[in-house]
Amino acid sequence: MNVQFSRRQFLKGTGAGVAGSAIGAFGFGGAEVALAQAAHAFKLSKATETRNTCPYCSVSCGMILYSRGDVKKGEKAEIFHIEGDVDNPVNRGTLCPKGAGALDFIHSKQRVTRPMHRKPGSDKFEPVTWDFAMERIAKLMKEDRDANFIEKTRDGVTVNRWPTMGFLAGCATSNEAGWLTWKAVRGLGIVAVDNQARI
Amino acid sequence: MPRDGSRRPAGDAVPLAPMDIGEVANPPFAVLPDPGRVFLVRSERFAALAPGHQLEPYLHLLSQITRAQHDILGELPEPVLPSPERLALARDNTMPPISTGQIALDETADRTFDALLKTLAAADLAETSRTALEAVEKAGPDGRRNMMQAVILDEIPGDAIAEHVLAAAAVQVLFTRLAARLDVESLKRVADGACPSCGGAPVASAVVGWEGAHGTRFCTCSICATQWNVVRIKCLVCSSEKGIAYHSLEGGQETVMGETCEACDSYVKMLHQHKDPSLEPIADDVASLALDLTLTKEGWTRASVNPFLMGY
Repeated sequence: MNVQFSRRQFLKGTGAGVAGSAIGAFGFGGAEVALAQAAHAFKLSKATETRNTCPYCSVSCGMILYSRGDVKKGEKAEIFHIEGDVDNPVNRGTLCPKGAGALDFIHSKQRVTRPMHRKPGSDKFEPVTWDFAMERIAKLMKEDRDANFIEKTRDGVTVNRWPTMGFLAGCATSNEAGWLTWKAVRGLGIVAVDNQARI
Repeated sequence: MPRDGSRRPAGDAVPLAPMDIGEVANPPFAVLPDPGRVFLVRSERFAALAPGHQLEPYLHLLSQITRAQHDILGELPEPVLPSPERLALARDNTMPPISTGQIALDETADRTFDALLKTLAAADLAETSRTALEAVEKAGPDGRRNMMQAVILDEIPGDAIAEHVLAAAAVQVLFTRLAARLDVESLKRVADGACPSCGGAPVASAVVGWEGAHGTRFCTCSICATQWNVVRIKCLVCSSEKGIAYHSLEGGQETVMGETCEACDSYVKMLHQHKDPSLEPIADDVASLALDLTLTKEGWTRASVNPFLMGY
């Protein structure tokens, strides 16, 4: 609702062609010019604040992440501070010790940032591509489901159960993501689902 | 209370109390101004900012003007609020109750301006500033009322800015006293960037350190000094929540930032009052003019209003 044009431009377009400001009008134009000249050398330091949800538990506290560096300009963005989001009705600015320490979690050298695979018989994890991981998981799930899926009980009651597979889903998800999780997992017949809907 | 069947503390053990995990912020929607403090605090802040500042003489003058705004409060007649019917109408239609465009300038307005001029005439003003004071006095009662009207309509003639800054100071006193007499519970959110009392634009917003509202953001009205709560990381001009960034001067004051919006290319300053409680929106907005010059050079448009920075 604010007036969005520059008032300086507005003033230039009116009056007797006097491009002025309050500072100059009171007779301090010299100081104003000096400030404007000094300001040529000034540089801006930019920080971005982004709302996000704490990744730890199902309370899903709101967080404000402070970052430097503009990804759009090809710079590397880096998060340098995290605090509780005061405007979030869930936590109103508070964070538990785990959430308050999330900055170290983000910058941890041990943080897993890509899919890792430990081959049968191997003693170490190796990085793999997402395509490999997805295909491998899908293939093993299919094999297991084909072998263990229960369509009917001995009494002939249809149950469509897959009791040998468990699914650990996210806790800091939206209602929509929760709905999709439910549809995908229950649609396959998986019984053991954990959304960490508790603390 | 533990549910039946849940484990209870054994013996005389004290039941566990909820752990203190920080201050829970529960901000009020709006805070009405206290006229007896607004101008005094502002004047003292201008005086504190002036020494050594590049705009020192101007900040000193503004300290005198705001001090005069404070000093005249005792001698002014009671301002007249709109009728209870009008106030109810505004409340029921989510409009500001003392909308600047709706309040007719009356005798209280005239006497406010006159008292301000009289007090300033007696002050130790710089010679160049006195010219404006004399011009306002020469304009006569009708001329002065027209000046206040021009301030309200934001139609400032380019060749009489100083005179209109003085008129704006009178308008501030008038509307701050009116706003102070409103019922804070009756105020409704008009828009993120509009004062719920008078509809005015914010001069800046501040992350406050108040008890019970620590870390929340309040805008300050450039006219009536009402403060209202707006969630953080949101543009006060177009209400966009995407692409909001905070700019400060490198190596400069980090508690005063420009909140820029990529959606509308504008900015309004944000003060980190919780880190520095002495920050005052009107005074620190003027004192951080270098930040405006740098931001506008980079293509951002100043969207906030400050009568003492008319022209920017």
